[in-house]
Amino acid sequence: MSYAQPEVLVDTDWVSQNPSNDNRKIVEVDYDPENGYKKGHINGASLIWWKRDINDPITRDIINKKQFEELMQKNGIKSNTEVILYGDFNNWFAAFVFWVFKYYGHENLKIMNGGRKKWELENKEYTTDEPNIPSTQYVSGPPDEGLRAYLYDVRRALDRNDTVMVDVRSPKEFTGEITAPPEYPMEHAQRGGHIPGANNIPWATAVNDADGTFKTVEELKQNYQPKGVTPDKDVICYCRIGERSSHSWFVLKYLLGYPKVRNYDGSWTEWGNMIGNPVEK
Amino acid sequence: MSQELPVLKKGIYYIIKDSKTDLIMEDKTKRGLTVKEKSIDEKLNVEAEKGMIHDMDGIGHWVPIRWFFPKNQYDIEKVLVLAEAMEKKYKEIRELTCPDD
Repeated sequence: MSYAQPEVLVDTDWVSQNPSNDNRKIVEVDYDPENGYKKGHINGASLIWWKRDINDPITRDIINKKQFEELMQKNGIKSNTEVILYGDFNNWFAAFVFWVFKYYGHENLKIMNGGRKKWELENKEYTTDEPNIPSTQYVSGPPDEGLRAYLYDVRRALDRNDTVMVDVRSPKEFTGEITAPPEYPMEHAQRGGHIPGANNIPWATAVNDADGTFKTVEELKQNYQPKGVTPDKDVICYCRIGERSSHSWFVLKYLLGYPKVRNYDGSWTEWGNMIGNPVEK
Repeated sequence: MSQELPVLKKGIYYIIKDSKTDLIMEDKTKRGLTVKEKSIDEKLNVEAEKGMIHDMDGIGHWVPIRWFFPKNQYDIEKVLVLAEAMEKKYKEIRELTCPDD
């Protein structure tokens, strides 16, 4: 059985044979470009840096429609351009950017399965040359709020049995033993634990550990359905800052074809810091 | 491995352990950080186990977690000077961010 929307994935061999051109752009999405893109990237790929390019510089929020259009123009992307995303950290931030692109209505969008991890395992070539990209014109659609969950959506979902919450963090974060791994000292919250009623299905259970590629449909179904995460539910995914949860959002929506999946990008750094929010350990 | 070794000296922010060949100084603020490599720390010029910490922008920085001072070159007094310097640095940071009064 194939994925619900197999066209959203390309493999590393395909990318190595289909470089960027006027109608196709390869974009590396990094959390840490100093240790990623700047050390080497796929020939012709431009960089989207999660912190600088996808977040508003002042307010905690993703970029607005105008900022998104400027980002597209800077990366040489037109409304019908085929965009191939890949990145560091197991494609977490590539998945986050996929979510943002979909939020603003970009249709022709794919992820390179396995990201930098698989590309490097296969000893495929990198370059440090940055492409010279002519600017384009881009008008995005209005934001699709059906893809995004806000704090009030999650609060409302607490009492609903037709909505299921998927906490994709590690078990130690879920139980509140830690609020963030020591590697991310800036991402802590005031309280540890999880949103009441959430299921802990870590993002990593959806990928093959060896090369970071997605598991098969059968394996993915087995991963979610026994825990009540079924296609008839309204599904909300969250993690700590919303990037690992967009990876699981991608799996549920595009690989398994669930009709209603939202990413709660406020995630634990919002929920666990708000006064009065209920917390389960 | 080093966790089972005898402790020679402890501060708020450091711990010095005794192994067969080395005096091992650990930075307690890096507790729990995954060791990603062991290489020479250019500042202290001894081998160190290092991990990576990501800052507000997501950029990863290599940081030493524990240093290995060969016993044939260092005694406890020498290591203690370095440990106390680290202690002083962290106390100053704490004083800046969370002053007692």
